[in-house]
Formats: sequence, C-alpha cells, structure tokens
Amino acid sequence: MENEKVLSVSEITKQIKGVLELGFPNLRVQGEISNFKFHSSGHLYFTLKDEGAQISAVMWRGRANQLLFKPTDGMKVIARGNISLYEPRGSYQLDCLGLQPLGVGELQQAFERLKKRLLDEGLFDEEHKKPLPEYPQRIGIVTSPTGAAIRDMISVFSRRMPSVELILIPVKVQGIGAAEEIAQAITDLNNGLWTDVIIIGRGGGSIEDLWAFNEEIVARAIYHSKIPVVSAVGHEIDFSISDFVADLRAPTPSAAAELVVKDGNELVELIRNFCYTMNSSMTNLIESYKQTVGNLTSSYSFHKPQDLLKQRSQQVDELYRRLDQNLHHGMERVSQRFDSLGARINALNPKLVLKRGYSIVRQEGRVVSSRAKAVVNKEASIEFHDGIVEAAITGKRKP
Amino acid sequence: MPKKESKHPFEQSLHRLEKIVTALEGGDVALEDSLKMYEEGIQLSKECMETLTKAELRIKQLTKDLNGKLQLMDFEE
Repeated sequence: MENEKVLSVSEITKQIKGVLELGFPNLRVQGEISNFKFHSSGHLYFTLKDEGAQISAVMWRGRANQLLFKPTDGMKVIARGNISLYEPRGSYQLDCLGLQPLGVGELQQAFERLKKRLLDEGLFDEEHKKPLPEYPQRIGIVTSPTGAAIRDMISVFSRRMPSVELILIPVKVQGIGAAEEIAQAITDLNNGLWTDVIIIGRGGGSIEDLWAFNEEIVARAIYHSKIPVVSAVGHEIDFSISDFVADLRAPTPSAAAELVVKDGNELVELIRNFCYTMNSSMTNLIESYKQTVGNLTSSYSFHKPQDLLKQRSQQVDELYRRLDQNLHHGMERVSQRFDSLGARINALNPKLVLKRGYSIVRQEGRVVSSRAKAVVNKEASIEFHDGIVEAAITGKRKP
Repeated sequence: MPKKESKHPFEQSLHRLEKIVTALEGGDVALEDSLKMYEEGIQLSKECMETLTKAELRIKQLTKDLNGKLQLMDFEE
C-alpha cells in the first residue's frame, strides 16, 4: 500500500484527460439537442442525447459564428468534434467543430414546432396587427448593408417616392447571432421611435440562410414593436416565422418597398386632377354668379327702379290725397298698392323664391343642385319657405 | 431624439387639399370663401408637387457608438 503512488486529483485528472482526448479523435455523434444555451460570450452550450444516454457539448464562438442555422431544442443533429475534459469540474464534453441538421426535415420540423407554439400564444393574431402609415416619411430598414435586398429597395424608393428618408440598421442576416442583431435593431428603432415603419428582410437563400427570421427572439421583437413592421424574407415562395408575426408580409424586399410607399407619379397625377377640378369648379361658380347678376340687371324692375319708385310714390301721394277725401274707402286701396309693390321687390330676393313654390333639396348638408349630385337611397331634406321636411331619394330618371 | 408627429406636413397638405377640392366640387360654398379656398388649394398643390418631384432619396445609417448610443450617419453604398 505504502509503495503505491498516491496521485493528486490534478494528476489523475490530467491522465484521464490524456486518454479521453487522444482516444476519440474526429468523432461524429448523432443525437438530439436539449438544454440549448446561446451564451452572451458567443459560445453555445447544449446536451446531446438519445434514449439511453446524454453528453454535454460545447461549441466555441469561432466555430459557432460559422453555423448557418441556430440549433434549437428537439433538433436532431450530427455533431463533429472531439472529447475534451474540463479539469476544474472533472467533466468531459463533446467539443463540437461542426454541427449539421440530420436532414432538411429537421429544420422544417423546428420551424413547425415554433410556428405552432407562437400561433397558440397569439403572436399571429390579426387584431394585433397595426395598419401601415399612408405616407411614411422615415423608413427603417433592417438588413445587410451589402446584400441585394438593400440595393433593390433603394432603387424602388428612388423611383417611386424619393422624398422619403431611409434609415438603415446594418445587421447580419444569417448565421449565429443574426437573429439577436435583427431583434436588437427592431428594439432600437422603437426606443427612439426613429421611423414610421420598419422593413426587415433579406434576399433569397436556403432554409439555413433564412433561419434567423425563423427565430423566436425576432418574432417577439416584431410582436412588441410599436412601429409597424413589414417582413420581406427571401423569395415569394419562402415563408418565415417573421412573416406571420409582422404587420404585413411582402413576398420580396422590392415588393416591401412598393407596399410601403405610394407611387409618387400617381400622386402627381392625382394632384394635377385636383387642380383641374378646382379650376373647373371655380369657373362654373363664377359663370353661375355672372348669370344670376345678369338676370337681375336685365329684369324690368332693375332697369327701371327709378321710374318704378317715382311712379309708385306718385300713386301713393295721390292715394294719400284721396285718403283725406274718403278715409275708409281709401285705406283699403292704399294697403293693396303697398302689398303689390312689396311682392314685386320680394320676387327679386333669391331667398324668397321658395315662396313661389320652389324648394331646396339637401343631402348631408350639401345642396343637391343636379340629378347627378343626388344620392339614391339616402336621406334628404327639402326646404320650403315655411320650414324643412325630411325625405328620401328613392330613384333617378332622365327628365 | 426625433419626435413623431401625428401626421407629416405632406400628408396634412394632401388631406387638406382633398377637402378643399371636395368642398369646391360640392358647389355650396359662398363665392368669397370659394376664392379663398381656391387660392389655398393651388398653393397646397404647388407644395405637394414640389415635395414629390424635387426630392432626392436620403439614406442614413443608424449605428451604435462606443457607449452604445445610437447615431445617424450617412450611408455609403
């Protein structure tokens, strides 16, 4: 017993480490991921397991950065690497150099699992979706500064609505950490309310390339955004989780730009039409006033007011004289004369036209001055000289 | 920190213009008021047209400085 060498913990650990690390070179291990953790240092920690056993695994930042998809719990993968022993804890782990999904089906399944979970949680609810502003002035774009997506969008905005301002937040759009950058960009834009709308997206690629947009952290950032978010990921056929959560899904980045701003050329045309309408309305208005004035000036009483008054006042004078002679009889005739004079003057007052049996039809406070302006099956009011009656227009016909 | 207005000047102008056009088209505005609205309408049309046709796309980049503060910079393609 005494001759046997006593080893320190460190010594035996070192020996085991030597055996383990040299004894299992270039491993390829198939298993299911669980307890996945993406540490802020950039390293990935997880457990690989099957029905009978489990093994701790680690992927250091340098390698993790090269991953095109983000591993998630439940995903079946093949890990490539070596066994390493971590002396302070006396634990061994699989030191992963590479990781690949067992098949494309694995990513698809992870996608479906997350989609179902978020759907059940209500992240895709229609009621939560915000309308896009009609005329956004500042447009936030979360994408790669060097990709095709940003170039395409710049060209669409330049063509359709160059008066807007684009605010780009450059992010990684694929690989590990991309989802975190995209989510952070959405949050940053919200914190300062920097823009009126946000477009997140990238050009087409494989399901691994687009994976960042299928991650929960991005989905939640979109869901919590107070600024409306448009998701434009890949091609028309690609659907991502971000598409389902976003306030609007665009089939491609260029399409997103087209959906976000109206076509300035169409607006120019609209304003031209406005000017035309205003001009013709004013011309019509002035013409109709001219005509009214013309009618008045050409009327007998306007031409001859002096004569008329002279004539009338002479008559009145005469009547007064007669009045003196025959009080009772004369009184009647005086009042008759005055009535008739008053009636003639009143006839020229447009407002009293109503007394002659005409009426004014209004709908929603607007005068219905022509058949064309009448709205069928709508309430109308008809103004007579002595008040208003309520009516409804039930049909139109040609005169 | 940029402030968010409820509506941007362009949108306000366009909506006001639309209202004026509808009112004038309705034809039941008094002559005096019509003239005032017409003048305003033409002025608004000019402004909107200018915004639409004379602008050049501005592109900025929002990045974090060393203290984590967001800053707007010119974007270079």
